[in-house]
Amino acid sequence: MRRRDVLAGIGSLGVIGGAGAVAIYGLPSVNDESDDEREPVDPLTVETIEAPGSEAGKVRVPATNQPTFVDFFATWCDPCSEQMPALIEAHDRLDNDVLFMSVTNEAVGRSVAKAEIVDWWKNHNGNWTLGIDPTAELSAQYSITGIPYAVAIDASGRVQWSASGRKSTNEFVDGIERALESDGAEGE
Amino acid sequence: MDRRTYLGTAGITGLTSIAGCLGGTFGSDKGNGNGSENGSEGRGNSNTVLKPPERNLSEASHPSYGDELPALSLPDPLAGETISTEQFEGERAVLMTFVYTNCPDGVCPALTLRLRRTQEVAAEEGFSDDIALLEMTFDPERDTESKLRTFANEQGVDAEAENWHFLRPETYDSAKEIMTEDIGLPFKKTDAEEYEDLEYIFPHFALILLANERGIVERAYPKGSSIDPSTVVGDVETVVSE
Repeated sequence: MRRRDVLAGIGSLGVIGGAGAVAIYGLPSVNDESDDEREPVDPLTVETIEAPGSEAGKVRVPATNQPTFVDFFATWCDPCSEQMPALIEAHDRLDNDVLFMSVTNEAVGRSVAKAEIVDWWKNHNGNWTLGIDPTAELSAQYSITGIPYAVAIDASGRVQWSASGRKSTNEFVDGIERALESDGAEGE
Repeated sequence: MDRRTYLGTAGITGLTSIAGCLGGTFGSDKGNGNGSENGSEGRGNSNTVLKPPERNLSEASHPSYGDELPALSLPDPLAGETISTEQFEGERAVLMTFVYTNCPDGVCPALTLRLRRTQEVAAEEGFSDDIALLEMTFDPERDTESKLRTFANEQGVDAEAENWHFLRPETYDSAKEIMTEDIGLPFKKTDAEEYEDLEYIFPHFALILLANERGIVERAYPKGSSIDPSTVVGDVETVVSE
């Protein structure tokens, strides 16, 4: 079937190209799942807004000496709506252990009003820290590849898990636990 | 590029994760980064600002370091005017990518985020007038003016800004010709069996091109949807500050 051949060609060439890069240049270290020696990320200040479970103010991301979980979402994003029940349950299980937050990188104040974000939050029963990233600085920092996107950072500021797409409760919990289990020690 | 090489790989490996968009490089596995004797890459070039990229992409089928940015002249449906890549020569550097708003797996929003972040930093740092951000849809049948406007709002780009232009070829055939002939990437409308709400998708490569104001490519980012946005922004800042 011709269409599948073309697809296979494209897909496998992507793989071959990548393999060539590995052979010649070594693994890229940024965002590589298998990289054990990743550096702590630079902290950023994120504005939080008043909403159920969230106060207006600022938080440092990642938190200091505490694991941090960030759910990147947007009000237009259907998978983000669909995964809210899973996030709620993950939050119920792990809230005491991490800074648990959701952040939208919508252009709040320009393309969408703060009140619309809060309405979405209430309609989806969010009940934890709600942040906004109107200039996409945080999104850029974590090199997010689409929405929704989940990032779990350990207490030393190292990203231990990041993944795009809709997730289940167990996927969230497992990912966040990777950040909890990492003691943030340097090197080995 | 050697099309037979490309076709020849078709049967070797099974399908990897094929969604609407693809990462990875295309036809560029031959580069060695050590100063190739052929092609424009691998040696300094007086037409470029940046040093040659770490990874030599001169064998890639798409434009790369030192090449001329393909001359394209396309309607900007939001502004209601025709935009030519050449009109920016002597005026602005160009950061360009290729998307479709029905992109089901987040690659196109990720590409858009890199342009958006550049737009934000340009506004903060005062170089908005030195860069043109061009986002071409290759799906004009679905990406109407209002769809592009909605997409811009959702993705947080300031489509009203002078430095932002959506480019929309008039027809699918025109889009296909641009992608395959000018940009040099494989392109094919594909049944979207795995997506209930989509009739068709476009497996495509996540390419971002950065050209200086002389219209010479400074960087091709073949993994444009996952590259660190600060790398792109930093390269743009260097290019516009020449």
